[in-house]
Amino acid sequence: MSDKIKITPVNRGKRPAFFDDPAIDQLMAIVMSMSAEMSVLYDRVDTIERLLDNKGTLSRDDIEAFRPDQDTEDERNVRRNEYIARLFRIIHEERESLVSHDKMDEYNELMDELAKP
Amino acid sequence: MPLQHEHEFLVTGSHDEMNRQHYVSRLRMHILNQIGAGMRGVYENRVKPKFKQTNGRVPKNEHEIRKAMLADSYGKTWSTMMVNCQDMVWESVRPAIERAQPGLNEKVSRVKATHGSIVLNSDVKVPRYLAGADIHRMPGNYHTERATDDVTQGALYDRGRFVYNGGAAGPFADGIPRTMAAYIKARWPDFKPKKILELGCTIGTSTVPFVDAFPDAEVHAIDVSAPSLRYGHARAEALGKPIHFHQMDAEALDFEDQSFDLVYSCIIFHETSRKAYPKILEECKRILKPGGQMIHTELTPVANMDDFDAFYIDWDAYYNNEPFYQTYTSLDPEEWVTKAGFEPSKFFQASIPDLDRSPPDVFAGAVRNPTVADRKAARVGESAKWYTYGAWK
Ligand SMILES: C[S@@+](CC[C@H](N)C(=O)[O-])C[C@H]1O[C@@H](n2cnc3c(N)ncnc32)[C@H](O)[C@@H]1O
Repeated sequence: MSDKIKITPVNRGKRPAFFDDPAIDQLMAIVMSMSAEMSVLYDRVDTIERLLDNKGTLSRDDIEAFRPDQDTEDERNVRRNEYIARLFRIIHEERESLVSHDKMDEYNELMDELAKP
Repeated sequence: MPLQHEHEFLVTGSHDEMNRQHYVSRLRMHILNQIGAGMRGVYENRVKPKFKQTNGRVPKNEHEIRKAMLADSYGKTWSTMMVNCQDMVWESVRPAIERAQPGLNEKVSRVKATHGSIVLNSDVKVPRYLAGADIHRMPGNYHTERATDDVTQGALYDRGRFVYNGGAAGPFADGIPRTMAAYIKARWPDFKPKKILELGCTIGTSTVPFVDAFPDAEVHAIDVSAPSLRYGHARAEALGKPIHFHQMDAEALDFEDQSFDLVYSCIIFHETSRKAYPKILEECKRILKPGGQMIHTELTPVANMDDFDAFYIDWDAYYNNEPFYQTYTSLDPEEWVTKAGFEPSKFFQASIPDLDRSPPDVFAGAVRNPTVADRKAARVGESAKWYTYGAWK
């Protein structure tokens, strides 16, 4: 019973890819993981700041032992949400700038009009 | 969002691991609620007009919508983020649980049954619908045994499911069953079940609220997955909740005829099969006492939705290892409940507003005036209503 346990997939199958080039799916996965690591780093800095605010000194053990209370967690979640919104802004921008085809025609007309000498 | 309640056997992780888990929760909610919320607009304003231009008509069903949406860059981006985030959930909890082992297994094996009990039966076979696919891409599903007396999958489910929900179901991840229990008490105040059974309890998160709601009842819970049951038993003991866990197949229960007043389940049917579903309903009928109640919370039937919502909700069937999901949502519960031998006049269904996420008067209104929502109702973080159905015997 003292063997190490590895949590491995049993029947997960291949991860589906959605883009014509699966490298894009991979790139998105890398970006998402990186976004998590940056957030983790930020939380660590936040922990350090809070410990310094409270005690004026800190040790690694203090950092490792720090657990957010509900208020701290709520503050962190606000920050995380804003961070996510900034990071993935481009996706929302695409959605918000969606115009239906007739609007596009209007825009093209405007271009033509403005191009007239 | 609340932090998870930490019972004695919960494995969270180090400082950084916990913050990573909490971040993944927020990321998932963002993908679901912000990016996912844009899917319909993309469909209406871009995908549908383009489809019409090419085909001279609009898409005629959810399958055509899926094909068209997944050819669109927004649909692709949302989908790849959904799949990846699902894997990030499990990945964020995996290292801490591996590190906690084999100590966790040993700790659980020392648990004394003081409040409830556990009876395992290694003759119970894991059905193909569980053995064949890691549902929700959870590595090893609910049942995989990685050592003797293993509880790994239970620990993975406990923390992973909380991260997945982002705390939306409360500190005990029990929003649905708490809502169900409160609904039963409010709508049928004279119904006082003495013996209660839950089917597919996993780690008992959905059992505990029924112990709390019906403190005088004897509460039993079954599942086929031993690692989940062992963990669930330890968790219930740590919480001081009397629950009797049994390793059993819901398709063929070992309980006597007419032995329970209330039998219920919480989101299990969509993870079974077309063959298993009617058998489980028949077992419910068999083990219920006359006058007893069967009640299940599940995905809303797609017949109650428009094609776009059907596409959206059935996405999991294709990309999140939910092999029976789509067939299940196409079935009409009323038809199958009556086929299982319940009187048509004894059938009921309702979409129940989530207890935590709707104002009390909305919940009370749904009790007085039960209706079925006509739109998607079961996706975490999207709509706070749970489709529930059942019958009296
Ligand atoms: C989605 S989980 C249920 C979650 C749980 N009720 C909750 O709300 O937290 C589905 C569970 O049903 C169990 N299950 C599926 N088919 C079963 C069957 N035929 N008999 C017993 N358990 C079954 C699985 O092992 C799994 O634990």
